[in-house]
Amino acid sequence: MVSFKNGWISRVGIVVMAAIMVEIISVIQYQRLRRMMLEETGARGRVVVSAMADHIQQTLGLVESTMRENMWDVKRSLAHPDSVYPVLVRLIDDNPHVVGGCLAFAPNYYPSKGRLYEPYASKDKDRKITVSQIAGPGHDYTQNEEYQWVIDHGTPSWTDPYIYGADSVCLTTYSYPIFDKNGRIVAICGLDMDLSWLGDTLNARQPYSSSFALLLTQEGILVAGPSEKRTSRADVEQALAVINGDVPESKNPSISMWKTSLSKDPFWQVVQVYQTADIYSKVGQMRLQQMFLILLALAILAFMIERYSRNERKLRMASEEQARIGGELAAAHGIQQEMLPKTFPPFVYGSLEPAREVGGDMFDFFCRDGKVFFCVGDVSGKGVPAAMLMSVVHSLFRVVSRKEYRPSRILEAMNREICRGNDSNMFVTFFIGCLDMYSGVLNYASAGHDKPFVLSGGNATMLQAKANLPLGAFPDTRFEQQSCTLEHGTTLLMYTDGLTEAKNVDRKLFGREGIDGVLKKFISRMDFSLEDLVLSLCTAAHKFAGEAPQSDDLTLLAVRFAPGDLIREQITLTNKSSEVTRLSQFVKDFFGRLEVDRKLAAGMRLGLEEAVVNVINYAYPPDEEGEVHISADSDGKEVRFTIVDSGFPFDPTSVLEPDTTLDAQNRPIGGLGILLSRKLMDSISYSRQNGKNVLSLTKSIL
Amino acid sequence: MNITIQETDAKIVATLAGELDTAAAQEAEKQLQPLQNSKGKDVLLDCTDLEYISSSGLRVLLSILKQAKSVGSRVVLKNVNDVIRDVLELTGFISIFEFE
Repeated sequence: MVSFKNGWISRVGIVVMAAIMVEIISVIQYQRLRRMMLEETGARGRVVVSAMADHIQQTLGLVESTMRENMWDVKRSLAHPDSVYPVLVRLIDDNPHVVGGCLAFAPNYYPSKGRLYEPYASKDKDRKITVSQIAGPGHDYTQNEEYQWVIDHGTPSWTDPYIYGADSVCLTTYSYPIFDKNGRIVAICGLDMDLSWLGDTLNARQPYSSSFALLLTQEGILVAGPSEKRTSRADVEQALAVINGDVPESKNPSISMWKTSLSKDPFWQVVQVYQTADIYSKVGQMRLQQMFLILLALAILAFMIERYSRNERKLRMASEEQARIGGELAAAHGIQQEMLPKTFPPFVYGSLEPAREVGGDMFDFFCRDGKVFFCVGDVSGKGVPAAMLMSVVHSLFRVVSRKEYRPSRILEAMNREICRGNDSNMFVTFFIGCLDMYSGVLNYASAGHDKPFVLSGGNATMLQAKANLPLGAFPDTRFEQQSCTLEHGTTLLMYTDGLTEAKNVDRKLFGREGIDGVLKKFISRMDFSLEDLVLSLCTAAHKFAGEAPQSDDLTLLAVRFAPGDLIREQITLTNKSSEVTRLSQFVKDFFGRLEVDRKLAAGMRLGLEEAVVNVINYAYPPDEEGEVHISADSDGKEVRFTIVDSGFPFDPTSVLEPDTTLDAQNRPIGGLGILLSRKLMDSISYSRQNGKNVLSLTKSIL
Repeated sequence: MNITIQETDAKIVATLAGELDTAAAQEAEKQLQPLQNSKGKDVLLDCTDLEYISSSGLRVLLSILKQAKSVGSRVVLKNVNDVIRDVLELTGFISIFEFE
C-alpha cells in the first residue's frame, strides 16, 4: 500500500511539474508571440497604409490626368468666353470622382465679361451637370489663397479639404494654371474632387472592428475617416491627439498606429490605427486555447499513465497472486501427499491421484497388534475446500484410531468432530476396516462409501457392507459395524468414485464394466501383486478417459489377508510363579523359529514375562487355581503375544507408571513389572472379551 | 541360576550366573541372604555370567542395596551385559547402583 501511495503522489507530481513547465513555456511563447504579432501587425500596417496612400495618390493622379488630357480642349475653347462651358461639362463628366470644375480667368481676360469671370460646372448626386458663372462681388476668387499660390508659383496644387455646398460635401480642388503663348497665366482651371467616399474606402477592409484608417492633411487636419456608425468619435479624437503629438504615443499604449505620407502634393498622411488589445487578443486567445489543449493533453496523459500503471499493477498483482497461489497449491499438494502412506508392506497397496493440485480423497493404513487398520475417504466436491476438510478428516482418523479398535466407534468419534462446525454442509464418505492378520477376521464399517470388492477364489464380489450415512451429516449417527472372516489370499479392493465415474470424451462412465474387465485378468490367480492391480486399474481408467480431463480424484486401496509364513505357538500355564520357567522355555523355542536378534528377544521375553507374572500373581484370588493362556504369533515382521485369563477384570495398561528417578531408599519394591512390559514392547492393549481379560503385546522385529 | 559367595576381609563378592527370572528370584533371594549381613563390608556383585534379569530379580538387588546403604557400605555391579544394562536403564536402577 505504501508503494501504491508513493506511486500515486509521484504520478501527480509528474503531472503538476509538467503543467508548470508547460505554463512557463507558454508565458515565454506568449511574450514572443506578442512581439511577433506586433511586428507582423506593424509590417502589415505599413503595407496597408502605403497601399492606401498609393490608392489615394492614384485617384488624385486620375484627376490630374483628366486635367492634363483635356487641357488642349480647354485651351482651344478659350477663344470665346461662352465656349468654355461645354468643355467644363466634358471635363467633369470624364472622371467619376470629379463633382465640379471651374475656370477662374485672370482679371479682365474677357473684357466683355467684366473684371472677374469664373464659369462653373457641377455634378449632382444623379450625375446631372449644371453650369453657371459664379464669380461676383460675393465671390472674388483672386482673394483665394490657393488661387494666389498657383499664380505665384505657376505650378498645379491641391487645396486642403473643405466643406462645400448644401450637402456639406468634403471636397478638395486641383488647381491647374493655364498659360498663353507668352507664358502668362490666363486662367486657373479647378477640378473639385469629392472626398467623402475616401473614409469608407479606407475603412472598408479593416482587420478588426475597432481598427480604422484616417486620412489627414500635412498639418494633421482630418480629411477622411471611418463613419461614426463604425467608429466612435472619441476613438478618432484619441488617435488624432496622439498623431498630432498632443499626447505622447508612449502615454497611450492602448492604441498602436502606422502612418505614411503621400509622396507628392498634397502630402497627405494616411494613418492606420489599431487597438493594441486587438493585436494581442488573438495571441491571448491562442494562448488560452493552447493552455486548454495542453492541460487536456496532460489530463489525458495523466489518466492514461494512471490507467496504464493501475492495469500494470493489477496485472502484476494478479500474476504474483497466481504464482503465489500456484506455489501454495504445490505446497498443499506436497503436504497432502506427505500425509499418505508411501511405503507398503506386501499385503497393502494404495494410490491417490487428485484431479487438481489438491483433492478431497484420502486413504491410510497402519498395523497395530497384528491388525491392519485401513480406510478410504472421499469428501464431497474437489479442490481446495475438499482438501482442507480431508486434511481434518485424515488427522481425525489418525488420532481416533490410535486407541480404538472398533471401526464403528472410530466413525462415530470422527463424525461427531466433523459435524461440529460443519457450516458448509460438506460430507465425507468413509470406509474403515480392521483386519486381524492372524485370524483373517475383518471388522468393518462404512459411512456411505462404495462397497469394496472382495477378490477371492477366482471371483470378484462386493463386500456386504451396510451403507450408513456419510460423515458430517448428523452428529448422533450410529454406524453399524459388520464382521466377516476372510479366507487366505483374499484381497479387498477399496476405491472412490473417481474410478467408477471416470468419464471419456463421450461422457460415458468407466463403471463396473470397466473395473470387471481389469479384475478378470487378476482373479484367476491368487498371487498377483497388489501394486499391479491398483496401477492397472488407474491406467485402465486413464486410458478409458482418453483426452477427457480427470473428472474426480482417483483413489484405490487394496488389502490382502495373506498370513504367509505365520508362526503361531500357544501354551497354557497355571497361576504359579514356577510356571515362569515353562514360559521362558516356550518363548525361547518361539524365538528360535523366528531368528530374532538376541537382545530384542531378551527384551520381548522380559516384556511378556512381566505381563504374565502380573496375571499369575493378581488375576485370581490367592489359593485359587486359574489358567493363563498365552499365544505367540508372528508374520516375520511383528511379534504378538496374547495373554488370556478368566480372573478379575483388570486393565494393567491403566496402572500409573512408578517414578524411576527416586533414590534407593525411597524406591518402592514392586510396580516395575508393567513398566518394563510397556517399555519393552511397542504396544500393549487390553480388552475384556467374553468374561476374559485379553492383553495383547506387540513388537516389531524388523 | 547359580550363585556363589566369597567373603574376604575387605568385601563380599557374590557371583551370579544364569537367568534371574521370576521363577529363580525366590531361590536367589534365599541364597543371597548372607549379603544382608555385610557388617559394613562393600558388596561386589559379579554379573559376568548373568544373562537375564526380571523385575523380581531387580527387587532382590534393590533389597541388598537398601540394607547395605543403611550400614554405610557400597554395592557394586561388575561386568553387566548389554541386555541387563538396558533393563537397568529402563527402570532407572542405573542411577542408584555403582558399576565396575
